[in-house]
Amino acid sequence: MTEAAFESARIDELQRAGRFWVPIRKRFGIGAFGVNAWVAQAEGDEIVSEHVEGSSGHQELYVVVAGHATFTVGGEEIDAPTGTLVFVRDPEAKRKAVAKEAGTTVLTVGAKPGEAFEVSSWEASAEMFPLYEAGDYESAAAILREALEHGEDYGLLYNLACVESLLGRRDDAVEHLRRSIELDPRSAEAAKSDPDLDAIRDDQRLASMLS
Amino acid sequence: MSSYNVVKLDELESIPVGDRGLQWRPIRLQLGIRAFGTNAYTADVGDEIVEEHTEATYGHEEMYVVVRGRATFTLDDEEIDAPAGTLVHVPDPSVQRTAVAQEPGTVVLAVGGKPGEAFQPSPWELGFRASKLEPAEAVAYVEAHMDEYPEMAATHYNLACFRALAGDKEGALQALERAAEMDADTVRNWAEGDSDLDSLKNDPRYRRAVGT
Repeated sequence: MTEAAFESARIDELQRAGRFWVPIRKRFGIGAFGVNAWVAQAEGDEIVSEHVEGSSGHQELYVVVAGHATFTVGGEEIDAPTGTLVFVRDPEAKRKAVAKEAGTTVLTVGAKPGEAFEVSSWEASAEMFPLYEAGDYESAAAILREALEHGEDYGLLYNLACVESLLGRRDDAVEHLRRSIELDPRSAEAAKSDPDLDAIRDDQRLASMLS
Repeated sequence: MSSYNVVKLDELESIPVGDRGLQWRPIRLQLGIRAFGTNAYTADVGDEIVEEHTEATYGHEEMYVVVRGRATFTLDDEEIDAPAGTLVHVPDPSVQRTAVAQEPGTVVLAVGGKPGEAFQPSPWELGFRASKLEPAEAVAYVEAHMDEYPEMAATHYNLACFRALAGDKEGALQALERAAEMDADTVRNWAEGDSDLDSLKNDPRYRRAVGT
């Protein structure tokens, strides 16, 4: 939560994270619902990448606030010029949006009915990923550690173990991978062939975790 | 129920609210959203596009999005020029907020919810939605939908007004008594000078309920 009683900003002036994503919830410190914008650089950009909300259980409302997009929800195409609202009630419905022109801007609001809003671990992973790809592992690790202060999550712990391995922080990487596997054994499967963990692959502790 | 719905902002129902030109364009209600509150508002140039209010009753954190046109927000004593694409975030429920449309076709979208709690729809929707109906229809609408909202004095009070206007004096008194049980002071303030309740004002039960 920000200290200010109120704050305003223009979507096109906010800092982007990655190619299309404008983080809004995090920028304002919103605690009651998730909200982000996606801005196309060119025609054909998949600004909302195909996904489901099965693990978050979120209902999502998409608002086309500039330009023109084509949504695909549950296999059906939706022509969505500026001013279109697309509400996806079913978290399991596959959804994506492709821009028909540069500058197309889609605002997304999401939360789970019947539960107090919690920040999705998705948000930190998505913010971290471009830094990871650019080799800025220190910054990536800082984002993951900050997100983990709000609650444990096997995916965030796994990614943190990877960047710590790449940074040569063997003990931290082993510890975070161990905890990730405790929370969800899928992390052990992923770790077996993940080159990010090669730097710690000779560690005895890793071998016993993955056996 | 389908997995998704699509609607254009311009196709949303338009319901006049208050006497300053505000048009409420219900989104949450129309789309059946259960996870957060969201509505759009439109107004002619110079008219109110966000009704002056605080969120003290509901404790909502709000974010406004100027989707089209231009609006001037006033938050407590501060003015904000808000062209299309502006986001206005108001985390503090006690901030007095309002906005005026500055260009033809201005649309403001509002999103709200209470941090740390599961979303519940706000009962003011019932009153707004019913306000343009004939009294008997308004009574039927509120009675049919009030279970979808948390119980608040305002809902029973609105029902009392609609029933009184529809000629159902007994029903109106019952609703007024229930409202007063929940929040006597506020109901007394509302009832004072509310001509909707004129047909009840000589009844001793009215005087007991509002304490006059």
